[in-house]
Amino acid sequence: MLEFARYEGRHRVRGSLVLTAGIAALIALYVWLFPSFKASGIDWEAYIESFPPAFMEAFGVRNITSIEGFLSAELYSFVWVLLLGMYLAYSAASTVAGEVEDGRMDLRLSLPVSRRRIVGEKFLSLLVPVLIVNLLTPMAVYGGVLLIGESMSAADLVAVHAFSIPYLLACAAIGLAISVALDREGRAQRAALGAIFGLFMIESVVAGTDAEPVGGLSPTRYFDPSAILVDGTYDLAGAGILLGATVVIVLASQWWFSRKSLE
Amino acid sequence: MSAIEIHGLSKDYGPILANDDLTFEVEDGEVFGYLGPNGAGKTTTIRTLMGLQSPTAGTATIMGHDVRDEGELIAAKRSVGYLPSNPSFDRDATGREILDLHASIKGDDRRDEILELFDPPLDRTVREFSSGNVQKLGLVQAFMHDPDLLVMDEPTSGLDPLMQSRFNEFVRAEKRAGKTFFLSSHVLSEVRRVCDRVGILRDGRLVTVERVESLLDRSGKFVRARVVGELGAEDLDFDGVHDPTVTAIEAGPELSSVPDDETITEVTFTFTGDINDLLGRFGRERLLDLDLEEAPLEDVFMRFYGNDSATTADAGTSGTAFDTATGGDGNA
Repeated sequence: MLEFARYEGRHRVRGSLVLTAGIAALIALYVWLFPSFKASGIDWEAYIESFPPAFMEAFGVRNITSIEGFLSAELYSFVWVLLLGMYLAYSAASTVAGEVEDGRMDLRLSLPVSRRRIVGEKFLSLLVPVLIVNLLTPMAVYGGVLLIGESMSAADLVAVHAFSIPYLLACAAIGLAISVALDREGRAQRAALGAIFGLFMIESVVAGTDAEPVGGLSPTRYFDPSAILVDGTYDLAGAGILLGATVVIVLASQWWFSRKSLE
Repeated sequence: MSAIEIHGLSKDYGPILANDDLTFEVEDGEVFGYLGPNGAGKTTTIRTLMGLQSPTAGTATIMGHDVRDEGELIAAKRSVGYLPSNPSFDRDATGREILDLHASIKGDDRRDEILELFDPPLDRTVREFSSGNVQKLGLVQAFMHDPDLLVMDEPTSGLDPLMQSRFNEFVRAEKRAGKTFFLSSHVLSEVRRVCDRVGILRDGRLVTVERVESLLDRSGKFVRARVVGELGAEDLDFDGVHDPTVTAIEAGPELSSVPDDETITEVTFTFTGDINDLLGRFGRERLLDLDLEEAPLEDVFMRFYGNDSATTADAGTSGTAFDTATGGDGNA
């Protein structure tokens, strides 16, 4: 069982560790900046009050002079929601389209397994980067926060990472669907990046307008790091919606690939 | 039940009809060569058989299983070994990891035995493989689970002559053990030594399916001879000579044994008669050189299946290039 997922998951470990190391370096930089940011004497609250609501929404700007508010605005709302979401969608976009394009899929499909299984296990292998980055990063963050003499709720930190998992899986599912739909790896990757960025933008732009319900199509609506870190509120329903959407999109991708003629 | 049955199979890509109403069977236990020039539609048929792409019309079965039904095809694939044309593997994986993955799904009873014949560097990543080694890895994965039917698209492409003959020998041994082969090639001389029957595909249409001996008898030999003295077209007017050309040539340095005032004549033709008659006929001349090569597939097409604008009188000379590589050795 799960031979493909294990094989591909193994090949994702190194890249995931490199990704995590990069993020840890970025965290170190932010955390190191925080004391001087806080001590600068600038009235940040007044400054951010002047931002348009869409910006506040996009970057989760709230209570920015607390370490929680600072991290959620600088790190989570941007790096986690946007960059990591795009990374997962991009990685997922390579999976099927890349193998179809260069012919590797021909040999994989010569094995006595269903196409649904191949697509499903490709998706499962993406759990490796999702889990590694969410397991190691909170340790780096917590360590960094303690080092600069600040403190924050460890439970909220764990929660923000736990709640990011359904969000990142939903992004990966979107990338997977694009990967099945398109036959060129490069095209699928660009489409996946564009899709996540576009959904992020839509959700930000419609915030506080009459078109706000449209933002419900974006996975970013259901994962709000600021709410978890600053307010300590957990959106369980949102996580459920993300997981449900992930399952639906993965099933649809499997169904689609099982009927597709690879030409 | 035949190993492979194809009925009315067509694949329309819009601008081109890659497979046009193909109907043929590959019998259990035979080695069937699927021949045709590049672009004839061989790969389309093979990928349809493997369930990778859907036919526009028609049906095909592998060991009785409909290739259009995924569930049926999965059952068939347990006993099929497949080698695509230009096989492609994960470049960051080692040969061993790839074989292990395949083994975990389909088994590898014969892996060690096959690796003694075809030995890609298993501990290196595929990125470092030469194209010959990629082909060998493809052959190992195709054979290692001891399948009953082998479907191979240009199996000897990229292999050096030693590996090619090792492959041919292995195919013959496997055939004796009861295995069925469906092999494609664009070079007749490459598969003629192993095939029982060949099907020839041209522009998506099957032009003939016949026993390989009868095709070879009819296709004949390409002959090039240099003789001292003058020879005319009438001198070549005997049974089995086709498309003769006669050219007077100047004596170059390699012909220094010939006096300057002698004429030298080069003749070329395709010969389908008895080789003894040919030698008897030339026995009367002073021969400087005599080449006998298997006729290139393109010539065979031209002579038996009609000509079209794409094939010209040059096809003979350009075609010999392939055949000299493997060396025609008469009706072996």
